[in-house]
Amino acid sequence: MANRPPRQGLNGNDVDFDTTWQILERAFLEIHTKNASQLSFEELYRNAYKIVLKKKGDALYNKVAEFEHRWLGDTIRVRIVKLLSAPFLFNDDIGRTLATSAERRAGGEGVLKALKQAWEDHQVCMSMLTDVLMYMDRVYCTDHRQPSIFAKSMGLFRDQILRTPVRQGEDNLITILTRIILDQIAMDRDGEAIDRYLIKSNVYMLEGLYESEQEVEDEKLYLREFEESFLQKSAQFYREEGERLLKESDAGTYCHHAKRRIDEESDRCRSTLSESTAPKIQRVVEDELIRNKMKGLIEMDSGVLYMVDNDKFNELHLVFDLEARVDPRKPELTKALQQIIADMGAKINEAAVATSQAPPQAAPAPEDGEGDKSKGKQDKQINQQTQAALKWVADILDLKDRFDKIWEISFGRDQTIQTALTRSMSENINSFGRSSEYISLFIDDHMKKGIRDKTDQEVDAILEKAIVLLRYLQDKDYFETYYKKHLCKRLLLKKSQSTDVEKQMIARMKMELGNSFTLKLEAMFKDISLSEDLTRGYREHVAGLGDADRKRVDLTVSVLTSMTWPLEAFRSANEDDGETRAQIIFPPALDLVRQGFERYYSEKHSGRKLTWQTSMGEVDIKALFKNKSGQMRIHEVSCSTYAALILLLFNDRQPDDQLSLEEIEAQTNIPMQSLKRTLQALAVAPKTRFLSKEPMSRDVNPGDKFSLNDDYLPKTVKIKVGVVSAGNKVEGDRERKETEKRNNDSRGFVIEAAVVRLMKTRKELAHAQLLNETISVLSSRFKPDVNMIKKRIESLIEREYLERMEDAPVPSYKYVA
Amino acid sequence: MASTNPPTEYITLVSSDDYSFVIRRSAACISPAIKRMLDPANGFIESQTNTCRLDNINGLVLEKVCEYLYYNEKHKDAKDVADMDLPMELVLELLMAADYLNGMFCI
Repeated sequence: MANRPPRQGLNGNDVDFDTTWQILERAFLEIHTKNASQLSFEELYRNAYKIVLKKKGDALYNKVAEFEHRWLGDTIRVRIVKLLSAPFLFNDDIGRTLATSAERRAGGEGVLKALKQAWEDHQVCMSMLTDVLMYMDRVYCTDHRQPSIFAKSMGLFRDQILRTPVRQGEDNLITILTRIILDQIAMDRDGEAIDRYLIKSNVYMLEGLYESEQEVEDEKLYLREFEESFLQKSAQFYREEGERLLKESDAGTYCHHAKRRIDEESDRCRSTLSESTAPKIQRVVEDELIRNKMKGLIEMDSGVLYMVDNDKFNELHLVFDLEARVDPRKPELTKALQQIIADMGAKINEAAVATSQAPPQAAPAPEDGEGDKSKGKQDKQINQQTQAALKWVADILDLKDRFDKIWEISFGRDQTIQTALTRSMSENINSFGRSSEYISLFIDDHMKKGIRDKTDQEVDAILEKAIVLLRYLQDKDYFETYYKKHLCKRLLLKKSQSTDVEKQMIARMKMELGNSFTLKLEAMFKDISLSEDLTRGYREHVAGLGDADRKRVDLTVSVLTSMTWPLEAFRSANEDDGETRAQIIFPPALDLVRQGFERYYSEKHSGRKLTWQTSMGEVDIKALFKNKSGQMRIHEVSCSTYAALILLLFNDRQPDDQLSLEEIEAQTNIPMQSLKRTLQALAVAPKTRFLSKEPMSRDVNPGDKFSLNDDYLPKTVKIKVGVVSAGNKVEGDRERKETEKRNNDSRGFVIEAAVVRLMKTRKELAHAQLLNETISVLSSRFKPDVNMIKKRIESLIEREYLERMEDAPVPSYKYVA
Repeated sequence: MASTNPPTEYITLVSSDDYSFVIRRSAACISPAIKRMLDPANGFIESQTNTCRLDNINGLVLEKVCEYLYYNEKHKDAKDVADMDLPMELVLELLMAADYLNGMFCI
């Protein structure tokens, strides 16, 4: 045997193709009918080997293909088609009506099982065939660029089983299969139990089959035939479900439902379909249930407005969560929230305007009911205004707190939402013309009484609130004006509860708004403490003079730097500019003190000019009154300097002596308006009627005559004469106009200064750029009006600080040194 | 009829002239063709009897094949292994056997 020529195996004419193929074919049939255990692998392998060796590889390949073609087409397909019941042969709309869901489910499962079986058998058999035909695959298929016999047979399965119409002119199996799976999924969505594993097996089959024998990854039948229909069908399902839910249920339920559906679908992809579909179906559900419905959902009766109104934090969180899925910017929710804040803010603003403009008699009952501390009728209107301001601030803070809470609890401190909320709050505050004044009044109110009996922490919280509001404020220069005015009154009239807290507030503003903002405020505090030193120094100086004159009038002074203090706040309403210049005539006792202090002051600080602001002074007088039993009693009267001057006029007179209004004016030089008001306090107000007036009427008119009121019986030891302009209150319309005018003037200067500074460093700038940079430089103080900037630039050109550049392509300016 | 016993450690290769070679399964399975033959998943008769009858390889050549299978397995992780010593007169037949057993071209 060793000398058997090796050649024999090579030419071997003895190999007869047909006989050999018959052996193989018989064996293959055995394999397909699961009877392989008696077959010899080696024999089959050797026969295939021989055929290929004889260059008959193509014939063998075709024979095998033909065998599989027949097997699948004649045996397997027929077996499956038998299982198809009527409903599956029609389009689902017709089909679904033909049978109950239970029937359809059972029938569908039968088909699915048969397909699964066919597919698994085919896989096993073909893997055995592939092994036996290994030599053919390796030699023939590789050399002739044929797909492996396995790939070929998979293609045959696809064409014979799935792609061939089940009967003449009817759908093919893959269409029916898709229909069955979709039907089962629809049942699953409706809550009926289905055999997920069975569907999954069929999905495996679709994933294992390709459009062509090249087996390109994105040509899987699953993608080509099934997924598209699944997504379409799901989109339709969720579109309808979404619309129905919007009509039938409330927003909270909708959100819960949508969330559940999304989770369900991704579960379904894992358990029933293919993971690769998960992101796609997710998108479909998100589109149909969220993106296209978000607007409707938010605007529902039970939508976001309702949730905000009723503190539905959970639902809000769901809405937020849902929209965050489809768009990180959450445009619909943000828009809705902004709208709600704007509406609520508008309501607060309107309420504030309404309260402040309501006629005083219209509101007294509720005002008192609210525990308003107002005493005396003349205070009522002031209080009403102030209450409006305080209420406005409280409401705005409430609004902010409310949305901050929602933001924290429901929106996971989302950045985008925060920005939107801040913008809306800021718009609310800035769209309200009096916000600067009201915020300052809020602080004023707390400084005067609010911080009594409060712990440091509570005070801190109030200050923080004020700062929060301030942060939103655009026109900080307005605020500065008002704050200065209010602070001024607090300091001079000693209304402030605690200098410490005042200073804390300033420190906070300094941190928030910068040094320049608080410079003048700090200077005011400095003036006050210097004045205290000065007063003490002057008293020591007087004591040092030696003659302890008991009649000498004691003096407390506040020396105020005129540029720092908004003294016009006290004057503007009462006096015209011309009148302020008139010198008040002091009685000798007072004049002595005045001159004494002026001397003392000019010794210490030469070159400074003191102007006496008589209208702001206060005097304590000790006076003797007869009581009912005729005894004389000493009472202390505390009144304004003007009132004191008037009372002193009557000091040396007999009870019957009368002085006319004009005489009093001539003897004191008090400006007429202040005089009238002071006289009203002294002769009309019931508790402090030191004087009697002829004729008896409320108003003081030219020609009225005044005399001492002998019947006046003070009830208390200390008497306080109603001090004019004691409290800080909301400005009247005229005052506001003046404040605005003043503020606009000062804005003008600030703008000019900014423009000149910019031009000085840049030398040349285009018009638009200059505008932009000016606005950005000034933005920390206020939002300048563009027209105002333009006017200021014009004016600077006229005054030859700037000039227009003739040859520039865009309008530009040049700095003139 | 041999039982469908679990894979044994040794299997038998039988030549066309009825020489039997009992060799380790791991060595035999270096040949893809023998490996498939013995694969219990396919369930052919060879996998049940643990015996492969190779009808177109004679004993002389099969002996050399077995020698090579062991040689290959022994050196499978080594580098720079010297070629196995082959008698010149058998080279052509060995080449054909290798082709038949699929993929043993490393002689």
